[in-house]
Amino acid sequence: MFKQEGQGNNWGDLASLGPTPAEDNRANTMVHLSSLLLKKYHGGYVVIRLALAGHKQANRPFYRVVAAYNKRARDGKYLEQLGTYDPLPNIHNEKLVSFNFDRIKYWIGCGAHPTMPVAKLLGLAGFFPLHPMTITEAERRRAQTELIATGTEEGLQERQKEA
Amino acid sequence: MFQVIGGRSVQVTRLLAPRSPVIVEAVRGRKSRTDPVAKSKEGRIKLPPPVDATEMVVLKERYTEYQMITRALRLEFKEEVLRKKYEEETGSLAEERARQEAEEHRALMAFNSQENLRILQVRMLRIQKETEDAERQQLEAVVQRQQQQQEFIKEKEKEVLKLQEDAKNFITLENLDQRIEEALDNPKNYNFAIDKEGRVVKQTTLQ
Repeated sequence: MFKQEGQGNNWGDLASLGPTPAEDNRANTMVHLSSLLLKKYHGGYVVIRLALAGHKQANRPFYRVVAAYNKRARDGKYLEQLGTYDPLPNIHNEKLVSFNFDRIKYWIGCGAHPTMPVAKLLGLAGFFPLHPMTITEAERRRAQTELIATGTEEGLQERQKEA
Repeated sequence: MFQVIGGRSVQVTRLLAPRSPVIVEAVRGRKSRTDPVAKSKEGRIKLPPPVDATEMVVLKERYTEYQMITRALRLEFKEEVLRKKYEEETGSLAEERARQEAEEHRALMAFNSQENLRILQVRMLRIQKETEDAERQQLEAVVQRQQQQQEFIKEKEKEVLKLQEDAKNFITLENLDQRIEEALDNPKNYNFAIDKEGRVVKQTTLQ
C-alpha cells in the first residue's frame, strides 16, 4: 500500500527543491542583512506563508501572504508582507488574491520556502508552475461529479424502467 | 492534560466538547501510556488513507517535474538577486556615482579651505582692532588716573589753604582773653521773625 503524499511530506519535498539550509543561511547572511531587532534563530530559515490578518472578527478570515522566520508565530512579527488572500468569495463570486512579485522573487532568491497553499496560489496565478495537487484535486472532483451524474442518470433510467 | 493558550505558537487539535470560559485546547496525545483503550475503539486498526496506484504514479511524475521547475526558478531568482547586488556595488552606474561623489567631496573641501582662509583674514583684522583698542584704553586709563591724581592733589591743596586761612581766626591761648572780651563787648542777636510772605523782621526784644 503506497503512503499518500499528504501535507506531512511536503516539507521534505520542498526542502529538496532548492539548496540546503546551510547554503540558504549563507545566502541569507550574504544578501539580507538582519537588523538588531530581528531575533537570531539558530538554523532558522525564511518561509513565505499565509498569516491570519487578525481583524478579530469571528467567521471572517483574511490572510496575508507574508515572509517570516519559520519559528515565529503564525500571526506574529514578519519580515515583509508580500500580498493578500481573501478566502471568502465576493459579490461576483471571486476570491481576491494579490502578490508583490518583485519582492517574492527577491525572497525566493534569498532562500525562502513557500508553503503549500502559497505555492498553490502562485501556481494558479501563473508565477509558479501549476501545483500537482491542484491538478489531482481537480481530477478527483471531476470524477466525483461524473460519478454523481452517471449515478443520477442510472437512477432516473431505473425509475423510468420501473415506471 | 489541558493547556491554556498563551500564544498561537503550537499546532493543536481542537476539542469540540468542553465549553469553558477560558479557551482551553488539548494537545495531541490526551491519554498517557498507562490509560486503557476506550471501549468503542477496542477492535480498531488504524490504517493510512487508501491510495490509487495509477494516480500515485502520475502524481509522482508531476511532482518531480514541479520540483525541477521550482528548483530552476529558485536558482534563477538567486542569480538575479546576486546580479542586482553586484550591479549596485560595482556596476557602471555605481562607478559614476562614486566618481561624482568624489568630485563633490573635493569641491566641498576646496570651498571649505577657501572659507577658512577668508575667515582667517577677518579674524586677524578683528584681533588687530581689538589689540589696538585695548592699548588705547590702557593709555586712556593711565591718563585718567594721572588726571584724577592731579585733581585730588589740587583738592587737598585747596583744603590746606582754606584751613590755613581759617587758622588765622582760631582762638588760641593768647587770644583767649582778647576774644572773650570782644565777645562780651559785642552781643549778637540771632533772633528774627519771618512770615509766610517772606518778610524778615530782625527787631526783637533784647535780652
